[in-house]
Amino acid sequence: MNKRAVVARATLAVAAMAILASCGPAPQQTDPQTPTAGRGKIGVTCMDLTNPFFKLIGNVMEQKAAEYGFEVVVLSGEMDPAKQNSQLADFAAQGYDAIFLNPVDSKSAGEGVKKAAEAGIPVFTYDVQVTDDEAKGLIVSHIGSDNYQGGRLAGESMMKITGNKGRIAIIGYPEVTSCIYRVQGFKDHLKENNSPIEIVAELSGRGNRNDAYAVATDILQAHPDIVAIFAINDPSGLGAHAAIVKAGKAEQIAIIAFDASPAGKQAVFEKKLFDSPQQFPREMAEGTVDAFIKYRNGEDVPESIFIPCAHYYYEDSVKDESRVAEQW
Amino acid sequence: MTLKRLVSDYGMVLVLLGLCALFSMLTLKVQSPTSEAALSALAGQIEHAFGKSDTILIVGATNKESAPFAEKLGLTLEASGFAETRVIVGTPREARLALDAVRAEGGGVAAIVAGGDVGQWGVFDGIPEQYPEFKDCRILIPESRIWPDFLKRSNLLAIVDRIVVIAVIAIGMTMVILTGGIDLSVGSLLALSAVIGAMVMKHLGGAEAPGWAVAVGFLAGISSCGLIGALGGWLVTRFKVPPFITTLGVMMMARGLAFLLTGGFSIYQVPRALPWLGQGRTASVPNTVILLILLYSVAHVFMAHTRLGRHIYAVGGNEEAARLSGVRIGFVIVFVYAVSALAAGLGGCIQASQINTGTPNMGTMYELYVIAAVVVGGTSLSGGSGRILGTLIGAFIISVIQNGMNLLGLESYTQQVVLGAVILCAVLLDKARFGGLTKRLKGSLE
Repeated sequence: MNKRAVVARATLAVAAMAILASCGPAPQQTDPQTPTAGRGKIGVTCMDLTNPFFKLIGNVMEQKAAEYGFEVVVLSGEMDPAKQNSQLADFAAQGYDAIFLNPVDSKSAGEGVKKAAEAGIPVFTYDVQVTDDEAKGLIVSHIGSDNYQGGRLAGESMMKITGNKGRIAIIGYPEVTSCIYRVQGFKDHLKENNSPIEIVAELSGRGNRNDAYAVATDILQAHPDIVAIFAINDPSGLGAHAAIVKAGKAEQIAIIAFDASPAGKQAVFEKKLFDSPQQFPREMAEGTVDAFIKYRNGEDVPESIFIPCAHYYYEDSVKDESRVAEQW
Repeated sequence: MTLKRLVSDYGMVLVLLGLCALFSMLTLKVQSPTSEAALSALAGQIEHAFGKSDTILIVGATNKESAPFAEKLGLTLEASGFAETRVIVGTPREARLALDAVRAEGGGVAAIVAGGDVGQWGVFDGIPEQYPEFKDCRILIPESRIWPDFLKRSNLLAIVDRIVVIAVIAIGMTMVILTGGIDLSVGSLLALSAVIGAMVMKHLGGAEAPGWAVAVGFLAGISSCGLIGALGGWLVTRFKVPPFITTLGVMMMARGLAFLLTGGFSIYQVPRALPWLGQGRTASVPNTVILLILLYSVAHVFMAHTRLGRHIYAVGGNEEAARLSGVRIGFVIVFVYAVSALAAGLGGCIQASQINTGTPNMGTMYELYVIAAVVVGGTSLSGGSGRILGTLIGAFIISVIQNGMNLLGLESYTQQVVLGAVILCAVLLDKARFGGLTKRLKGSLE
């Protein structure tokens, strides 16, 4: 260890800290002109910020909360329940005014919720509910889509497009609860209507285009005679569509996806997808902020709100301005 | 000379302290008042400004520091003869109900004491419009102190909670890396251990199961991991499969197995005693802290003062020389991979205990965080050189950075960039230790 190396180490250490320091935001940089600015901070943690659905919700929450003078910090749980719980602990340590939580795991998020409640911080959940018995009671309010009902809508469309017969496949994502509900709703709808439709394959497309493409390709090898595919979200649906185009079966196989994301809406318009039951992330985000403001004002806050999903057919897409503007 | 030696050996301690100082400065914030001085000052102010029959509402937020403050102030004022003080501890809803109650009685409100962030509640902003009869009331905010969020007791404990799993696994990883190997399977083994443990507990009676069921579950999870690790080590030494490939295979198989066993769902039918390890306290010290101190002490003594520990260094330093001097290379390799897997298994138990569930998607990417902790802690990836306590410091550096960035409210995307940059800097530091970073820099300029 020579002297120069010691100097180099010290320089690097200082440089590392400088990087960190320069990344730190100036916390009190809220606009002093608006009277409501700088009222407080809200912590948001969601499953996965690389998913545009959650990114949009985070952005809308930020805008909406800013109208009331609250600053919003959006973190990604990165599909890791332990990571999300430590984010909740950090929010609690900093004494945020509220936490908006989209649990990675409905059960294990309960531990983080308990910690937040011990620190006196109100927790609001969105999209996915906390189901831990003890923590459930600590949640101020929940707002989310009715995924099971959305799955039933997909089942309804499936019976419509196939003429209620033939063999079909499901491209799911059984690692994620909301997707499990969609498939459950879908199957229940077929079953309750005594549909003769036969599900010949159910595989995971991991919710993304690439994996769904690969899985759909394999399904077509094993079951070349299927007439339709239900994919649990738009990326999976579009991946499946790419596979059937490659196999030259675009006329034979119909696809029903889920979400009516910007890409999904366009695909419905181009008749690549028959239906994509629509979720309303904007309403979800605004509803969560509204619930928080009501809470702050000491008003009554509804315990839970479920926003029903809606069909999104070609007819809906034609005049849909949000499709043209590439919005949810 | 000794100082220089100290700096070179434990320079990372300085980095850690520097980070702590930095985050303390950046998270300075006005905190809720708790001191007696603030309380008596405010009580004096009230006695001076208001009559004994004036209605005074004292509001505190549930579970926050403003709650005990409100209660104490209420008692003080009552003792000095204020008959109409009302202490309200709760949420904004309770504050509104209290205002409604006073209005229903036809009384007035002279002052509202709002400690901490209670003063920011929307319910009080609305008073001029919604409660015009109270528009003359004064809102009193007690004097506060300034203290960094980072240095709050609850936050420091949160840092330990966050890092305990990675720090435990890093013990095994340090040994593996010291032999010149790498173990990519630890994140998946963590999940496998947690899932196996939780399933055993579920079968032993679920929520109603007694405490020993937790021990049995943990044992099942940890030992299955240890077995898998030893098997991997055997493949590495017997068939000369590169550790990177062996553990990559194990990583995929273990993750898949965890999902297979659970069908993708989390297992939450676990005994009430499960959270003890990860969340409980013994003599008011968190169990996680005790566990960390215990494990690192044992590991330090083992690596520095036992024959097997020295052999691990020897294998990484020069395998051929070690073999010629009689070190049983095969045994050492199997041993380190088994320890690494056992540590991952224990990590899984701790995490399952922290989140009171076993889920198959736990520990994703942890192998990389663990490797980062080891490398930041000064262990060389080429093997043969490093310290167990350095790894602990490395783990804390990563934890402190993550915690600090969350406190500062940095966006997740930015956090990844910063964390990556810090890890790179640490590796550069590692290079500098072997002399000539400045030389290299100069060389590239010439």
